[in-house]
Amino acid sequence: MRVRHVLALACAACVLAVLPAFAEGTIKIGFPIPLSGPAALYGVPILKGAQMAVADLNAKGGVLGRKLELLPRDSKASADEAVRLARELIIKDNADFLAGTLTSAEAPAVSTIAKENKIVFIAPSAKTASLTAPANLHPYIFRFASNTTTEGQAGAIIMSKWKDIKKVATIAPDYAYGRDAIASFVAEIKKLRPDIAIVDQQWPKLGEPDFTAFITAQMSKQPDAVFCDLYGGDFVTFVKQAMPLGYFTAIHNRLADGGEVGAVDVTEPLGANYPFGIWSDAYDPVIWPGHEPAAHKAWVQEMKDSLKSPYGSGWAIQGYSVILALAAGIEKAGSTNSDKVSKALVGLTFDTPAGKRSFNANHDADTGEFWGEMVKDPKYPFAIIKDPTYYNPEPVAVTD
Amino acid sequence: MNRVALGRSIPWTLVVFLIAVWVPALGSRYDTFLGTQIAIDALFVVSLNLLLGTTGLVSFGHAAYFGIGAYACGILMKTYGVPFVIAFPAAALIAAFFALIFGFFCVRLSALYFAMLTLAFAQIVWAICFKWNAVTGGDEGLPNIPYPKLDWISSLPGLGDLSIADEFYLLTILMVALSFAILRQVIRSPFGRMLTTIRDNPERAAFIGLNVRAYELAAFVVAGGFAGLAGALYGIFNRGAFADYVFWSKSAEVLIMTILGGINYFWGPPVGAFALVWLNQEITSYTQYWPFVLGVVLLVLLFGFPGGIVGGLVAGYERLRRMLRPRHA
Repeated sequence: MRVRHVLALACAACVLAVLPAFAEGTIKIGFPIPLSGPAALYGVPILKGAQMAVADLNAKGGVLGRKLELLPRDSKASADEAVRLARELIIKDNADFLAGTLTSAEAPAVSTIAKENKIVFIAPSAKTASLTAPANLHPYIFRFASNTTTEGQAGAIIMSKWKDIKKVATIAPDYAYGRDAIASFVAEIKKLRPDIAIVDQQWPKLGEPDFTAFITAQMSKQPDAVFCDLYGGDFVTFVKQAMPLGYFTAIHNRLADGGEVGAVDVTEPLGANYPFGIWSDAYDPVIWPGHEPAAHKAWVQEMKDSLKSPYGSGWAIQGYSVILALAAGIEKAGSTNSDKVSKALVGLTFDTPAGKRSFNANHDADTGEFWGEMVKDPKYPFAIIKDPTYYNPEPVAVTD
Repeated sequence: MNRVALGRSIPWTLVVFLIAVWVPALGSRYDTFLGTQIAIDALFVVSLNLLLGTTGLVSFGHAAYFGIGAYACGILMKTYGVPFVIAFPAAALIAAFFALIFGFFCVRLSALYFAMLTLAFAQIVWAICFKWNAVTGGDEGLPNIPYPKLDWISSLPGLGDLSIADEFYLLTILMVALSFAILRQVIRSPFGRMLTTIRDNPERAAFIGLNVRAYELAAFVVAGGFAGLAGALYGIFNRGAFADYVFWSKSAEVLIMTILGGINYFWGPPVGAFALVWLNQEITSYTQYWPFVLGVVLLVLLFGFPGGIVGGLVAGYERLRRMLRPRHA
């Protein structure tokens, strides 16, 4: 009996394994993204978002009458592994398109492979401005993420409204992302408020375990406000060490952080220890008091169920929107040919759960971020963004 | 004994090269990519094994020279437009130069401290690659390294029209085969024998008048230079040099390949490289829980074949031969 059960299971497993091979005519989207290691914190929700979008589109009958098929692979947050996977997905698995990658090293690396193989590739999260800079731009690369220029400018616009501040300090991780965002912030704040002086700049390394020296050095310069670009785990460590030293009290919580520390992914672990009153952002506020779009409400519920998490994630929307963008491009082109889809994507406007977005001539989506003051709400055990406002300082105006 | 001698007299490098030449013709485009990666990793692990298996030095930072080679070749070719024929040997020289500087300090320490210092130097190289945005591109790396001009390969008689990936594959296996031939000669030379003596008994080697540190340093420089060649090829193959190439996890990966294949055989580490690259690509395309599966497979292999895959195969072959041999002989 037992043997027979095992055999039956084995047969079932074989059938299941073979099934995808029979699913001929699907539109295949290769999706290399970090699913292990610390970067999986962002990679997993982005992938879940993409899988939700594929399920939603397929439930409506797919695109051009064909079902979509997502081929997720663990890029291990490493550029050479992402390159290997991109080649494998294109050549061996016959992927029609590529989406995914997380870091600012993975995305430009995969972009080269996309160019070589003439396959459209949309990056959901890489912020580095160089990805679509003129030297690296080619017909097949698209970015659905904010970039470091936008991030620094948004921070500067918000801070320029704090009328009584004169002395500003910055703190950001010491690598290209932090350096670029701070450079953009400093340029913009000098334009908007020539009366403001930058009194201190701290550059802790990525993954710094002890921020004490940076915190005390910054406090000794007595800034009125701080632009911060620490994110994720670094921000959590920073806050836990800065609180007891009276850092936030000294600056009266006048800190703006462009590293998505307004997302539930960061506010939830900090809970009641969050420095309430600072300003921050998220791609998706998830909890959206005020004028939440109806489409977003339904989507967030679906996202929470799919992530099996009571508060969801601020990153899933990036994966979801990338697939919607690609589907809209295929629909408009009426073909899965990457040359045609690439032409269709330029200037294309499409719906996402957080409003309409479009790709500009530079192959960047006009993706900004939702900013707001981080406040307590009796309904949640952590900080939420008060009245999330969409900031997209780049010229294309988008509202919904 | 005779059989072993017979095995040794076969020019394995030539045999494997002649088989590998057929991959672009017979395999898929993807097999060519996989073949290129395995060939480059094979050179990388053989260079490490000159330290590990031949000289008995455990380096935890061999990726430093691999990465330096990749960046050196990439920067020369991309930023300065230097042709491959100059950039490629230059990458080896630059990597060897850094190996000379770092090695000078490392060989002064023994065993564990040597290993720790190699790791420390590798992490310094990583930090420089990760932060020196103007030269190395920082965390974004140095994408878009151009392919070398390889049209001449297609114009060779009998090869016909090849894609650039095929041409680069052929160039890679040629360079790796030449490097293998040189390294083989180095290990067999009196110099190589001295390294083995140092591995087996450093006190005695010093006692008979060898300058142990100088020999170890020489091995370190040669190993670094060949790792630099592997890195140069890898940067072009992946179309970019990235800080990951220098990170400690890359050094660990190459150590695993070497030990997995067997450090006591010249062809052990390449077999380990083949096994790990193949396993990685098979497992990651079927499950996202690849670290678990890979860990279990490695555990079984390391316990089942204590001398590595090649060591295990040779031992199995010897046992089989003894069983088949008539008792009275």
